[in-house]
Amino acid sequence: MTVAFPTAVLEPEAAGPLILALPKGRILQECAPLLARAGIRPHPDLADENSRMLRFPTDDPALDVVRVRSFDVATFVAFGAAQLGICGADVLMEFDYPEIYAPLDLGIGACRVAVAEPRDTAGSDDPRTWSRVRVATKYPNIARRHYAARGINADVVALNGAMELAPGLGLSRLIVDLVATGSTLKANGLVETEVIAHVTSRLIVNRTALKTRPEQVGAWIARFRAALTTRP
Amino acid sequence: MNDDPPPNPALLPAGLSDLLPPEAETAAASVEAIMGIFAAHAYQRVKPPLLEFADGLLAGTGAAMADQTFHLMDPDSHRMMGLRADMTPQVARIATTRLAHLARPLRLSYAGQSLRVRATGLAAERQIAQAGIELIGPDSPAADAEIVQVGAEALAALGLTRISFDLTLPQLVPTLLEEAGLPPAARSALGRALDRKDAAAVAEHGGKLAGTLTDLLLAAGPADRALEALLGAALTPGARAHAERLAATVAAIRARVPELRLTVDPVEFRGLRYHTGVTLTVFAPGRHEELARGGRYICGNGEAGEPATGLTLYPDAVLRAAPPRAPRPRIFLPAGTDAAAAAALRAEGYATVAALHPIADPAGEARRLACSFLLAAAGPVALTPE
Repeated sequence: MTVAFPTAVLEPEAAGPLILALPKGRILQECAPLLARAGIRPHPDLADENSRMLRFPTDDPALDVVRVRSFDVATFVAFGAAQLGICGADVLMEFDYPEIYAPLDLGIGACRVAVAEPRDTAGSDDPRTWSRVRVATKYPNIARRHYAARGINADVVALNGAMELAPGLGLSRLIVDLVATGSTLKANGLVETEVIAHVTSRLIVNRTALKTRPEQVGAWIARFRAALTTRP
Repeated sequence: MNDDPPPNPALLPAGLSDLLPPEAETAAASVEAIMGIFAAHAYQRVKPPLLEFADGLLAGTGAAMADQTFHLMDPDSHRMMGLRADMTPQVARIATTRLAHLARPLRLSYAGQSLRVRATGLAAERQIAQAGIELIGPDSPAADAEIVQVGAEALAALGLTRISFDLTLPQLVPTLLEEAGLPPAARSALGRALDRKDAAAVAEHGGKLAGTLTDLLLAAGPADRALEALLGAALTPGARAHAERLAATVAAIRARVPELRLTVDPVEFRGLRYHTGVTLTVFAPGRHEELARGGRYICGNGEAGEPATGLTLYPDAVLRAAPPRAPRPRIFLPAGTDAAAAAALRAEGYATVAALHPIADPAGEARRLACSFLLAAAGPVALTPE
């Protein structure tokens, strides 16, 4: 059996702060004004990427913030370690956790999951004839699903960064990556050939938390919803 | 040559585990406590086999579990057999075949283990204990409410009183989409978006229903507020009938168990995938796993189908959520203890550890064997840990 949690640490009903998981980096900066409009005033170290703190109190004792990698936001929320989170739709597409609800499109962090190929070979052969293709990506599931829908087996080379190097060094035929402006692709001799999905950041909530603490979790969804409508 | 070290003999296949003392005893006792409540409400126990012919096991309500069922070939009949992944279809089969002649409403209960090909959701287990009830025959709010009442009582018997029942209507969304005339392609994309409560995708695929569906999606929560939003929404006639039935069921539950915490999620339609009416999921605050799941379904196949509703408790999840139970205190009996005295101690609830031969230091031996008491001349003596 899974080692049981000691019962003493079980959170009593409606007690203990809710945890909001936020992604490091660009989206964290973009969501700061939204957090302010939703009335969330986190510890100032949250914005300081050099701070060693990982968990930050807010001025509301019923809400704490944790700062984790963007892919981990989904994992924290799916397992209920955080009840609320903000993460890109790309992460939700990749993991496809049934435990995550995404009730609000926050409209920030706009970018796209796209296919890119070396400029020199792009369009030089017909994908309809492929039965397999080697893809470098940090989205193995998205890439496999995308190509499977066209009858193509994607041989995925899983990378965590610097995907743009892969085609030039012979690691893969093409890459599937998150593209915001396309300047990194361009600088590495790649062109975007296909958009798989347009992506914005979502407010996500844990399914069980919404069922067992509906008043609190629902109140936060309502505050974010209101914050969206007051966007300047 | 293969230089890999031999596999550790303790390693089990993923998702399977040994239950050890004292948890194994607690688990068995808890299942019996649950079954005792079921029996007291006249739910009669049935015991279907672990294996059945696959075509029978996976017919009707069982079809939903086909991809989760282990298959093996019967060397005797050369037919494929399925290892049950859920007991409800087996009980439904018994109710409509061997017990078809019994008077309705028919109340049946069961307890046993089931196996799934893959762990579902975030739970790692592939072997799932089940203990449940099925109420076959009536299709009424009162029948729905009885299942909730008996389930809540069984959980209360294990000390779980702050549970919440989440009520959903798996047929509401499909009915609404069909009656509103959405094309089938949009329905599947929309169904998926609603399942993940993905408001952006609902807005994208929802067409003229997008506004209504978004309102319903955000209405999930405490029963009264959610029902108000559901009944106030612009529903098609069939969808409204489902909504009104849910309202009647909530009223019937409130009349029987007024203190029970109820939530309603109008657009959720996940479940064991054979449900046709109000479905139930039981949660405990602070726990991330479901304690029980059930709801209304059609028992049997086609024309012969009967309305039924039921609830399956997952005793392993229930035990993880329940307050810990003190194991039986162990008392060491030195050699030569009077048999009647030992029997009296067992009757008082002690587990008696009898010495198999005379021991010079009974207290030391008692501690070595994890006893918290020693039987002395004057009676049981509590041992302090050294």
